[in-house]
Amino acid sequence: MVYFMFVMMIGLILGLMAVASNPSPYYAALGLVMAAGMGCGLMVGYGGSFLSLVLFLIYLGGMLVVFVYTAALAAEPYPETWGDWSVLLYVGIYLMSVIFVGKYFMVNWYDMNWVGVEEISGLDMVRGDFGGVALLYSCGGWMLLLGGWVLLLALFVVLELTRGLSWGALRVVN
Amino acid sequence: MSPMYFSFSSAFILGLTGLALNRSHLLSALLCLEGMMLTMFIAIAIWSMTLNSTSSSIIPMILLTFSACEASAGLAILVATSRTHGSDNLQNLNLLQC
Repeated sequence: MVYFMFVMMIGLILGLMAVASNPSPYYAALGLVMAAGMGCGLMVGYGGSFLSLVLFLIYLGGMLVVFVYTAALAAEPYPETWGDWSVLLYVGIYLMSVIFVGKYFMVNWYDMNWVGVEEISGLDMVRGDFGGVALLYSCGGWMLLLGGWVLLLALFVVLELTRGLSWGALRVVN
Repeated sequence: MSPMYFSFSSAFILGLTGLALNRSHLLSALLCLEGMMLTMFIAIAIWSMTLNSTSSSIIPMILLTFSACEASAGLAILVATSRTHGSDNLQNLNLLQC
């Protein structure tokens, strides 16, 4: 179980390293998919299966799909992968810095807490994080309303940013 | 420091560094921003589960909602930039350069 969590943590760091070293956006999106998958495994290991599912559906299935087909706007004939020298330099720098800072910070490993969310409270009808999110509909009703309003506002923001035939920001590409 | 906290702290700092030291593509910067939001989601979710305060599980959901709005605004800017400048190359955005 501990090794499973370690693999997920290493995968998270490697995935974000793949994004931060700035390859072509195709490969950066691939790194983000891997990081999100590993992060979901991490949350599942602690007992938060509902939040992990939400991350998979909304983040990977909604937001990253939009990013991936916007990457068609950034298409270039020779994309830089992680094997190209300019990207590999960044990958090497990030790897070395994470390893050296890790050796400095993670000195005592006996204060790890692997206790999940279900192991203390006893028997329940509803799992821990699922019951927590359900509070969004009772006490957090105003936050739900605010979230819905912000989403509607974001639609109008996008409309305003991309409107305008030739005097706005959106013009015909020649 | 516990390995869990180190992993998502260093993941957040990696994303921040990738956003700061961006080279050529605006879309790569937006993806680094999304990576930072991802690590914040995972961090708050794991904290609320290990500290047994599951009522804080609302926070990652609201964070995801606002992150989606921010991503849509960023992508709209990217589309507008690609329409005026032809691509999302960061070196083309030099109108304010002296």
